[in-house]
Amino acid sequence: MRITIDNDAAKFVVRLADTEMILGQRLCEMCSNGPFLEEDIALSNVALDLIGRAEQLYKIVSEIENKGLSADDYAYRRNEREYFCLKLVEQPNTDFAWTITRSYLHDVYANEVFKQLLKSDIPNLAGLSEKVLIEIRYNLTHARDWMLRLGIGTEESNSRVQGAVDQMFRYVPEIFHWDVVDNKYLSDTAAIEKSWKSEVSALLKEANIKEPELMDVVMRDYREGFHSEFLGHILTEMQFLPRAYPDAKW
Amino acid sequence: MDKYQAAFDAIIEKDDRVEPRDWMPDDYRNNLIRQISQHAHSEVIGMQPEGNWLLRAPSLRSKQVLLAKIQDEGGHGLYLYSVAETLGVSREEMIDQLHEGKAKYSSIFNYPALNWADIGAIGWLVDGAAIVNQVSLQRTSYGPYSRGMIRICKEESFHQRQGYEIMLHMAKGTPEQKEMAQDALNRFWFPSLMMFGPHDADSAHSSKAMQWKIKRESNDTLRQKFIDKTVPQAEFLGLTVPDPNCKWNEETGHYDHSPFDWDEFWAVVNGNGPCNKERLDHHKKAHNDNAWVREAAVAYAKKTESTLV
Ligand SMILES: [Fe+2]
Ligand SMILES: [Fe+2]
Repeated sequence: MRITIDNDAAKFVVRLADTEMILGQRLCEMCSNGPFLEEDIALSNVALDLIGRAEQLYKIVSEIENKGLSADDYAYRRNEREYFCLKLVEQPNTDFAWTITRSYLHDVYANEVFKQLLKSDIPNLAGLSEKVLIEIRYNLTHARDWMLRLGIGTEESNSRVQGAVDQMFRYVPEIFHWDVVDNKYLSDTAAIEKSWKSEVSALLKEANIKEPELMDVVMRDYREGFHSEFLGHILTEMQFLPRAYPDAKW
Repeated sequence: MDKYQAAFDAIIEKDDRVEPRDWMPDDYRNNLIRQISQHAHSEVIGMQPEGNWLLRAPSLRSKQVLLAKIQDEGGHGLYLYSVAETLGVSREEMIDQLHEGKAKYSSIFNYPALNWADIGAIGWLVDGAAIVNQVSLQRTSYGPYSRGMIRICKEESFHQRQGYEIMLHMAKGTPEQKEMAQDALNRFWFPSLMMFGPHDADSAHSSKAMQWKIKRESNDTLRQKFIDKTVPQAEFLGLTVPDPNCKWNEETGHYDHSPFDWDEFWAVVNGNGPCNKERLDHHKKAHNDNAWVREAAVAYAKKTESTLV
């Protein structure tokens, strides 16, 4: 079965859903791998927010598309090329600095996007955005606090977080390559980019982290279903059971 | 007998609670530290076998339920470390003892989680066995531990229900799912029963702990309660308990069971179970690889405190 997404509104929402889902899956990897127990629990909490959010967004997609497919079908039965998450969130948990940097850069983006969606006319999206923004405020504070601790803490933590920022910045430009669909459902995409840049610049400065230049790396766009090599592995693991036992209900 | 000992004995005698500020015999304190730190480590190490299926949880709902469950277990760990700290041991010391092999955790977590139904079996049987034990510990003589158990038991019964729900889905599902469910029960049945520890006659820590009312019911009593409660649940699932001697006994009013494989039990306790080394190595690696993060947090706190002044 190949699952296509045909409606523009669904195309727009599935991008958000996939991004939240894959970041949630990445954060699940941190379970029992955190630097101490409180932080382990905090990361699980963020993962739980993200996956819950993804589920709600998939439900919206499924309602718009109206093909008799469930939220789970969208999450578990699409291949890499049918996924539409940011490459940023596919990046691995190389160390704790990578985990935090990835979340921070994502959270600033998501915060700006969902703020605009408070006025969305896609059914149920405005209401969901209200709830999501409350969560993101916590998620963002959590990530921001760690960026400061790591940036200012020790020489080692500074160099690790600098490395993570340098790497992750390669996956930022594609976020801002807005297409017609984005512009149809977001009221002001230019404002998102502007706010993202000013928040991130200010934080990096405060955290003693050098801001890398945003250079366009040659990579095809996530909106067309082009990904890093990581996504295939993430989906292989995540979708294993429903794929191996297509008739089973869990 | 000195007056401190007399006051302590009176608390125990009257079934009151010993509080952190009260005088207590060193043996009592050490016994509690051993038991509570072991309990805390069990909660934390128990995150690993369940975490093994987190990335592969087969639905959005089951992934969220499992994530929340593992998070609860981490929370229990935190809570219990704090209880132990009221007895004058730090979390760092307890973690060092774990890493040095001086502190134990429940042997059940040294068994691997091999298929998705294991997540059901762990919730149903392992949390189920833990509840029987912990309900009894709600009346333990050390106040903070007793209060901790009351709080923790509420969450544990959720875990057990959620585990049973997975088993129900699997047992009533496709033939392959039912096979997974039976396989999980086959592997977890005896290890869960052995979670209650050696028979009363062979239990090194039990008699003292019973006198002090740290432990309120014996290993065998608790184990039998669990068996009697669980066998009908397995029958309801349509699964077979992997013990041909597990039958209702009219005379005793309990289910019988075959003798346990205590050689296996002691092998696992003493480090030679299927995953002992992996569990400990995993914990050490996460702790050691992230030392720089904890150092950064401390350094940051120092720097920002000094700028605040
Ligand atoms: Fe627990
Ligand atoms: Fe539990």
